Amino acid sequence: MNFGFSPEQEALRKEVLAFIKENLTPGVIAEVEGEEQEVSAGEESAGRKGLARRGPHLSELYRRIGARGWLGITYPKEYGGQGGDRISQYIVEEEFARVGIRVGLVGSGAPAILAAGTEEQKRDFIPRLISGEYSFALGFTEPHAGADLANLRCRAVRDGDEYVINGQKIYTTAAHVATHIYLMARTNTEVPKHDGISIFIFPMDTAGITVRPLVTIQNNPKAPVGTTYGAARTNEVFFDNVRVPKSALLGGENKGWRVGSTGLNLDRVGASRYLISVRRDEDIVNWLKENRHEGNSLGDDPAIRDKIAEMWIEAQVCRLMTMRSMSIVERGGNFTYEGSAEKVWAPEHGTRITEAITQMLGPYGQLMNGSPRTIEKGIFGHNVLGSFQSGINHGSVQIMRDQVARRGLGLPSQRKAQGARK
Amino acid sequence: MTMCPVCGRAVDEAAAKVQTGQTAHGAKEVDPKQGTRQFHDGKWYYFDSLGCRSKFTARPDEFLKKPAQ
Repeated sequence: MNFGFSPEQEALRKEVLAFIKENLTPGVIAEVEGEEQEVSAGEESAGRKGLARRGPHLSELYRRIGARGWLGITYPKEYGGQGGDRISQYIVEEEFARVGIRVGLVGSGAPAILAAGTEEQKRDFIPRLISGEYSFALGFTEPHAGADLANLRCRAVRDGDEYVINGQKIYTTAAHVATHIYLMARTNTEVPKHDGISIFIFPMDTAGITVRPLVTIQNNPKAPVGTTYGAARTNEVFFDNVRVPKSALLGGENKGWRVGSTGLNLDRVGASRYLISVRRDEDIVNWLKENRHEGNSLGDDPAIRDKIAEMWIEAQVCRLMTMRSMSIVERGGNFTYEGSAEKVWAPEHGTRITEAITQMLGPYGQLMNGSPRTIEKGIFGHNVLGSFQSGINHGSVQIMRDQVARRGLGLPSQRKAQGARK
Repeated sequence: MTMCPVCGRAVDEAAAKVQTGQTAHGAKEVDPKQGTRQFHDGKWYYFDSLGCRSKFTARPDEFLKKPAQ
């Protein structure tokens, strides 16, 4: 058993760091800051806007990253990937994420397509998701269906070679920047609710789609680059007699629950999930090392040092859980509850480190982007606003705990447990 | 014009649906200040606010039975 990285993997990390040092120019940084205003971490999208909207510096950077073979590392070569291993992907993703560049595919669309898509869908979508030409908005949540997603009511009715979709989604975070929607809809109302759901993928400019903006607590002032959860906007999306071809169906009619769950589970494997929560730890450690506050270094205080050490230990648990999940998937193992456990630990660690930072910095930690005397452009203050988000989206921590209990520990489902008590 | 089934205020259906912008990749965008709607039992209902719609989502039968205020 070896918990470390191989010499080849360490060499890859050095190569990535050298590349970043050479290529992270002021022009790139400016464009990253502009991009993050619209697309934030944690969104269901490729994490990058369409190529047509990318600035010249970022376009050139991604071309160079692609030339090194660092985009879509774990995806098969025939679909535009590199056929590489997850640890290499993790190393590349981790180092680029630290400087705000996303090279990993965020979102459950690509893994779901790879697992359940037709050959045509794989060849159409995966290379373009890897390159950033396509990005998906996750159309799952509805006013009736959040944590209990299987309650969804958005209807898709077969009409010849098409489906006609009517209904609505809410908190569709990337709808205003995505090229496509990855939609879960009900295709059968006569069967148990989990068995009547299908997934469709179609362009956002399909006739009958309407997007209604919903501004978030990060909207004014806008969260600065480096804020862990900084989405300034989310959306409602309405579907009025939206007609899509049957080829938009992913994984077969009424198979959507399993396809969607598989995609979500696989999306929880990877450095981006880990980094979302532990970036705060790295930010505050770096800040404490480099700054004096009212003439003193906060790092001189033993209580603060103890707290930082405690949080760092928690962060390492996040990292190890991430590595374990990747290891299971890499070996083709049965990946069931491990991603769910990680999805509980990482966000809850995120709220704990945010609270700790708030106590350390006092009122200074509450100054927001644009305020005079703000620290780090207000990242810490904005993280206070956003820290609870990571425990809600992409499956709440309550749902994740339920999955750990059922799939990991073999406890009965809620429905069976209630039946047994009657 | 229609009435919000929860608070009884007038909601302009046309204004809630009229295009006021476009997303980065071509979907129609509407003005969020013009109320919202919900597809319920095959029909769209219009609401004064998300708050009203949340009440309707929780107890639709209650609001569909009572006459508009």
